[in-house]
Amino acid sequence: MPSEVMTTGAADATSAASKPNAPILDVEGVTIQYKTKEHLITATYRVDFQVFEADRFVILGPSGCGKSTLLKAVAGYLHPVEGEMRLNGTSVTEPGPDRVMVFQEFDQLLPWKTVKENITFALLNGGRCASKNEANDIAMEYIQKVKLDRFEDTYPHMLSGGMKQRVAIARGMAMEPAILLMDEPFAALDALTRRQMQEELLALWEDTKFTVLFVTHSIEEAVIVGSRILIMSPHPGQVKAELNAHDHSHATIGEDGFAELQSKIHNMIFADRVLEDEVVNHG
Amino acid sequence: MADVKAISLYIRPEFENPAVEKAVVGDIERRLSVWERVSNMDPVRKFTVLVVLVVAWELYTRLGSINELMFPTFSKTFAALIDALVNAGLLINIWNSLSLLVTGYVIGISIAAVLVVLGVWTRFGSDLLTTLTAMLNPLPAIALLPLAMIWFGLGNQAVIFTLLHSIIWPVALNTHAGFQSVSETMRMVGRNYGLKGLPYICKILIPAAFPSILTGLRIGWAFAWRTLIAAELVFGGQVMDTSGQLGAEGGSAGGLGWIIFQNQMENQTPYVFAGLFTVIIVGIVIENGLFRNVEDRTIRKWGMQQS
Repeated sequence: MPSEVMTTGAADATSAASKPNAPILDVEGVTIQYKTKEHLITATYRVDFQVFEADRFVILGPSGCGKSTLLKAVAGYLHPVEGEMRLNGTSVTEPGPDRVMVFQEFDQLLPWKTVKENITFALLNGGRCASKNEANDIAMEYIQKVKLDRFEDTYPHMLSGGMKQRVAIARGMAMEPAILLMDEPFAALDALTRRQMQEELLALWEDTKFTVLFVTHSIEEAVIVGSRILIMSPHPGQVKAELNAHDHSHATIGEDGFAELQSKIHNMIFADRVLEDEVVNHG
Repeated sequence: MADVKAISLYIRPEFENPAVEKAVVGDIERRLSVWERVSNMDPVRKFTVLVVLVVAWELYTRLGSINELMFPTFSKTFAALIDALVNAGLLINIWNSLSLLVTGYVIGISIAAVLVVLGVWTRFGSDLLTTLTAMLNPLPAIALLPLAMIWFGLGNQAVIFTLLHSIIWPVALNTHAGFQSVSETMRMVGRNYGLKGLPYICKILIPAAFPSILTGLRIGWAFAWRTLIAAELVFGGQVMDTSGQLGAEGGSAGGLGWIIFQNQMENQTPYVFAGLFTVIIVGIVIENGLFRNVEDRTIRKWGMQQS
């Protein structure tokens, strides 16, 4: 296994510090295929990884490595042809409120509901709250956490992109899922807003220590947001490496370690690209 | 190469503006002027168009010395309309038409809803819906009236049957198309929170497809209204032939189509115009009073449609 080969001393140190008994999410030998009109495409091939409690687990890879497909499979929208995904020991078969997904697209908020109603809608239908009052209280709590008080009665179309993503994150966190799934949630935002959102996400994590599985194609974002980074290679998506990034955040951007990790990841992904080009040239 | 060398970067001194925090430049937020606000109101603009049309009508019929039997002036038509409303019980005719229409509308929408739900759930339902719509949507509802009269006789049932035909297909077609265009993200969000079956349709698909559904309801209403008036015109002749009662009262007084037909027989051209006018007014009131209001309170408020 390449992931074992790449394991470094830093990983040993953390695993020695505290090793939880069982992973929250256990992905084992997952192969996902999907059909287009003319082709059968293998998106991921025998992918293994484990997400433990309070992990900020980032899946990173170039486009076409099946990272979003993998996340959709964890969410239960797609079914692997081989292998299994277990959430707290139970096999994932269909979408459910124990794995809330935050999408990249802004239309994930229901336009006919206000900010607060979007959250209470999830709480009431997802079975987390039975009464409307309880749902209202929880919704307001999370709206304050993402700094959107004053906007609770606003309809989504009046919010900026960053605010919409904040509502989506608040909705996801309010559900208190076993794992929060984020599919490039900041990719459609401008660079300044993206940075601000990353900081806020990390602050929220410091606050509640939720478990999150985060997909991105930005190396910098992976290093900042992630505590552990899974690097995938494309066509079909396979695990290339798992690295630790828990020491890095916005505060360490200028430091050597940050740049080192970034260029290490860059080389891993870039190596693939060179190989691919050669294949194309010879073929 | 010499040309390239001649262009060099002009390096200017940097500066920071210390006054930028304090400076207040004009209004940051300004209320629009009264004229701007009034001209932004849709009813005002539409009413202006109406006034222009009425003035043109009055001028044309007065200055052009048009035969009153062919084209009465607006003032004559208006007087006839008031007279019909006050003395001839036009309100009852309007009520008769509308109650028939609403009955047909409600039944039609229910049938369309069942068809669409079947179309969402099963592939056979979807095939049935698209085939039926493709076959029957182009068929004018009024063409079914003779058949309806054979089946149901000269009663409201025959009219309702033709109304159903004019309502079901546009409503079903638009609703189905609306459901199909609901974004994948929104569908996934609904399923994420465990919605399935009927709750999924009611809580995700219907609101998300509401712009299309409203369009379908509007088209259905307009088709039904036209069909109803046409059916009453045809019926008018039939009723007179069989019963011979022209001045029937109350519930059997007939609808607006019947009024137009009756006055044409009596050469009361201003009253024919008044009848047509009523058909138009009812149409406008329903469109602006009902559909426009629903639109304002739903898809415009939600930002799903630009104003």
